[in-house]
Amino acid sequence: MNQPSRPDGASLTAGIVLVLFGAVLLLDRTGTLDLTFREMAPIAFGAVGAILVASGLSRGRRER
Amino acid sequence: MQDMAATPDRRAGAPLRELRRELRRDPEHGMVAGVCAGLGRHLDIDPLLLRIAFAATTLASGVGLVAYLLAWMLLPAGESTSATRAGAFGDAVGRTGRAAVEVAFGVGFLLLSVLLALRELLPFSDALTWPLVLVAAGGALIWRQSVGGGPAATEAAAGALPSVARDPAQPSAARDSRPAVISRIGIGVTLVVAAAIVFLQFTGALAAATDVALAALVVAIALVVIFAPWFVRLLTSLSVERAERIRSQERAEVAAHLHDSVLQTLALVQKRAGDPREVAALARRQERELRSWLGGSQARADGKHRFAAALQAAADEIEQAHGVAVDVVAVGDAPLDRDGAALVAAAREAMLNAAKFAGDEAPVAVYAEAGPERLQVFVRDRGPGFDSAAVPADRRGVRESIVGRMERHGGRAAIHASPGGGTEVELVIERGAT
Repeated sequence: MNQPSRPDGASLTAGIVLVLFGAVLLLDRTGTLDLTFREMAPIAFGAVGAILVASGLSRGRRER
Repeated sequence: MQDMAATPDRRAGAPLRELRRELRRDPEHGMVAGVCAGLGRHLDIDPLLLRIAFAATTLASGVGLVAYLLAWMLLPAGESTSATRAGAFGDAVGRTGRAAVEVAFGVGFLLLSVLLALRELLPFSDALTWPLVLVAAGGALIWRQSVGGGPAATEAAAGALPSVARDPAQPSAARDSRPAVISRIGIGVTLVVAAAIVFLQFTGALAAATDVALAALVVAIALVVIFAPWFVRLLTSLSVERAERIRSQERAEVAAHLHDSVLQTLALVQKRAGDPREVAALARRQERELRSWLGGSQARADGKHRFAAALQAAADEIEQAHGVAVDVVAVGDAPLDRDGAALVAAAREAMLNAAKFAGDEAPVAVYAEAGPERLQVFVRDRGPGFDSAAVPADRRGVRESIVGRMERHGGRAAIHASPGGGTEVELVIERGAT
């Protein structure tokens, strides 16, 4: 009887972005990548931006 | 039965479980944004432990701070506190606006990320980076507000413009307040203007732009001085025309109402001129209708819940049904509660008796007084009167509908009547006596 619940787009995007960001940090930690602040900043800004856009679009659809 | 008895418990428990299941911030019980308090409630652990964990990971590598900020951004505030926290983000943002602002900031961050990454490959100065970021954020905010925010946001944005009519039937919850919409559009415009200023500043063109802006300002002032008289006259004529249109509409409405009511009644009066009783009834009915119409729709709507109006309605009903004039004089008024309704019902019964037995030589007089402590009604007629002691026991109109009803509501009824001397029914009820 219960309809399978659709995943929330914002949460899904946020999860994927955080996993990818964590993977990058892990690679940096293990020495596979050598990231400085100049290289890390765009990644961090991109992650935050993607999460915000996904959250805003999802919220806008919910409130319509 | 067992199932039904269990239902309220389940309902009572549902919000608590829902609150616990849903992961939300709890700003009311939090120290900063309520992330730890919300997480603690969700996981059913002490928020203090989470605070210590966040603090430790922040001090160790800074990850705790990043995680906290992300949780702050991503987790919605709890329902009980959303209203209070809305004040922190400001009425300028609102419900629909939060989505628009998030998208705007998100676009800005994404563009900044792309530009910073590109700068590693193609070096370019900040003169391009920051203006582009600001333009992207401001443009996204304006775009989301005006066309991309769905019907509610579009309607609200339309409401920000005075020339666009708004649908009054639209639920108020579906739209943001006009100041909120204007503020969001203002933020977007400010961001774009700031981007232009930053770009001009970086490229050294701000001085020239200032000269151009000054020249434009001077020209604008000159145009205002030249065209101000025409503009003022135009505004005045528009205002006069609007007032004239309103007056014309009101005249048309009055004429239509007079045609539908008064003229029709006058025609009926002419047709039934031989029946003075019918003519009097028609005249009184028309008088009531006109008074009600002059009182306006709000007064008519309020009247349904007021003591004096209910008494007048009962009198009108008796008058229409029996063709006997019933004059009501009411001093003071009160909300129509249960006691007041019982008093009106008893008074209606007294009026009915007067209309039935008193004849139509003189109107039935109803005097009502409504004060904060008591409600009082006198119903008088100049009929033949009667001996109340001689009323048979099976006649329940006076005993039950008047005396009994008043006693059940903590009031009293007294009947002053004598054969040939008319009848006066006195009804008194103390406010809050029951």
